[in-house]
Amino acid sequence: MGLMEIFKFALRGIGANKLRSGLTMLGILIGVGAVILLVAVGNGSKVAVEQSLQSLGTNTLTVSSGRAVRSSTYSTDLTLSIVEALQDKNAAPDIKSVSPVVSTSQTLTYGDTDHSTSVIGTSRDYLDANNSKIAKGEWFTADDLTDANRVLVIGSTTAEELFGTEDPLGKQVSVGGQIFTVIGVLSEKGSSGFNDPDDTAIAPINSVRKALTGYGAINSILIQATTADAVSAAQAEATAILNTKMHVTSTSNTPYQIRSASQLLETRTATAETFTTLLGAVAGISLLVGGIGITNIMMVTVTERTREIGIRKALGAPRRVILTQFLLEATMLSLVGGLLGVAGAYIGANFQITGITPVIVPSSVVLALGVSVAIGLFFGSYPASRAAGLRPIDALRYE
Amino acid sequence: MSDADQTQTLYALREVPLGKPVIEVKNLTKTYGEGEATVHALAGVSLTIERGDYVAIMGSSGSGKSTLMHILGCLDIPTSGSYHLDGVDVSRLNDQQLALVRNRRIGFVFQAFNLIPRTSALANVELPLAYAGVKSAQRRTRALAALEMVGLGNRADHDPNQLSGGQQQRVAVARALVSQPALLLADEPTGNLDSKSTADVLGVLDEINREGRTIVLITHEDEVAHHARRVIRLKDGEIVSDERQRPVEPGSARASRQEFGQPATAMDGAEWA
Ligand SMILES: Nc1ncnc2c1ncn2[C@@H]1O[C@H](COP(=O)(O)OP(=O)(O)OP(=O)(O)O)[C@@H](O)[C@H]1O
Ligand SMILES: [Mg+2]
Repeated sequence: MGLMEIFKFALRGIGANKLRSGLTMLGILIGVGAVILLVAVGNGSKVAVEQSLQSLGTNTLTVSSGRAVRSSTYSTDLTLSIVEALQDKNAAPDIKSVSPVVSTSQTLTYGDTDHSTSVIGTSRDYLDANNSKIAKGEWFTADDLTDANRVLVIGSTTAEELFGTEDPLGKQVSVGGQIFTVIGVLSEKGSSGFNDPDDTAIAPINSVRKALTGYGAINSILIQATTADAVSAAQAEATAILNTKMHVTSTSNTPYQIRSASQLLETRTATAETFTTLLGAVAGISLLVGGIGITNIMMVTVTERTREIGIRKALGAPRRVILTQFLLEATMLSLVGGLLGVAGAYIGANFQITGITPVIVPSSVVLALGVSVAIGLFFGSYPASRAAGLRPIDALRYE
Repeated sequence: MSDADQTQTLYALREVPLGKPVIEVKNLTKTYGEGEATVHALAGVSLTIERGDYVAIMGSSGSGKSTLMHILGCLDIPTSGSYHLDGVDVSRLNDQQLALVRNRRIGFVFQAFNLIPRTSALANVELPLAYAGVKSAQRRTRALAALEMVGLGNRADHDPNQLSGGQQQRVAVARALVSQPALLLADEPTGNLDSKSTADVLGVLDEINREGRTIVLITHEDEVAHHARRVIRLKDGEIVSDERQRPVEPGSARASRQEFGQPATAMDGAEWA
């Protein structure tokens, strides 16, 4: 009996038990689909974190003010004089640039359009340190900085929100009631899911302080090391300077925090990885449950199928032909179910799930498909191979 | 099974001089269960059936008729005793050879029909031919002819659960006959049939017996047994009487199966005669 003939038998077997075939395929479909999609969501969040941090640049350090130190007689604020001290090339040869950052949440208004975003006041070096580029117009000049000119460089998302298709350059925007002129638009960095680096507005620090925040403490200091390899040296130099300037006595209790982008990346990636592991565990459980479902369906029909095999043997079917037929049936069911699951997962991955764009991990596809198909194959063909080994009369009497 | 093996088995079964018994069993026993619950379904049956004979086996319920029939059909093995089919010791055949014997040599009608569920009558009848490697078009023609023979030509597309008990039984008969086996074993093939259908089926059996095929059937009805040439009675797993009603026609043993139609396959066509 040719393989083609056996294949037709297998097809007929699948067609003859539509409900059983359907349920088996559904079990495998859901198992495979759920695993791939859940792992993709976890992976998507990890990718998002990585992207958002990579857009920061890898050779930067961020100094932010930490908790206030009790019983300290000195101010724990970050000030421009600290910024100046950090810019000392002798004390800090590995530091390329230092940018003070004040940030304030403001509503930008153009015509009838409102848009809330964080407005950043900084110096000229910020552009390069922040790994940003100008797409249109220009960055503010040294004169803009010293003269506290009310000029604004906006991110691509902000530009779109406020101006739509209009050209933002030269337009006057009200920022918290103060008029600023848009002189440049940053090139797009790409959305990262959690926060959009393109939704921003940057102005000279003096203008922001004068018009919006006043002359209090600055929020943070962005330090750019000369190279990516010099980051730790730069961090040591900056720490020394900060300790002197802020009169730190105990290094375990500093009034500031200094962290490199890669450190930030590590902590956030670690969080995302925990998330992925958690989702992976959920996915694994759903694969297990799906597998048990498949096993159940296959086992429930064992009696009927054993009888059928008894009949076939009595009519002179060779063992090989019976095994091939049942193996083909199980293969088709689990493979079709599995591939439908993969297709479902790929379709599902086009949609955002709880704000995260799923990114499919190829190895999860292989694993989910492999495990389900293996379960389907084993529990589909094992009872058949056992039944095919029985004497026809014993198979017919099986209960 | 390799072609070489297949040919070997066929030769083994063929190289019997004509006139040697088709079935020869000696001291056949079959016991079920152990200890207190032991049942001696067969308690030493010896029996020889000549080529072309038509044997009816009778006996009360539980006397071991079906048990004997299953062993004769190579579906079960005896606890002790020997069984030679066409002079070949069945206990020495391996799984593949047994499959070949069941497929080419024997047609079996089960007491419980044993049709494959959710599979049309036609597909059920085609099955033995499919395992014999008959091409699908020819398979269909022959299966339809077999169904026609038992009066079910118009029920070919019905599934077993859409057929009455008697119709299912006739499908089972058609399935046993479709491969034109030299030996037909039928376990109460008319048990569920009315007198008209019974007469039809018996007509078919008489016909194929006249062509030289050997028939062994189980029945509870005297009219059915009346068609047979020989009647064997079983009681508690033993033969209590063995009467010949008519002799085996001398010419029948040499009758060529070609008279009945095409051979089951091109390969074994001439060899089973
Ligand atoms: N699988 C089995 N396990 C245990 N005992 C069995 C089994 N099959 C048959 N028997 C016993 O063997 C004896 C013979 O059974 P068998 O089926 O051959 O009877 P039978 O002559 O065909 O009866 P009937 O006319 O009712 O079909 C019975 O007593 C039965 O209980
Ligand atoms: Mg019986």
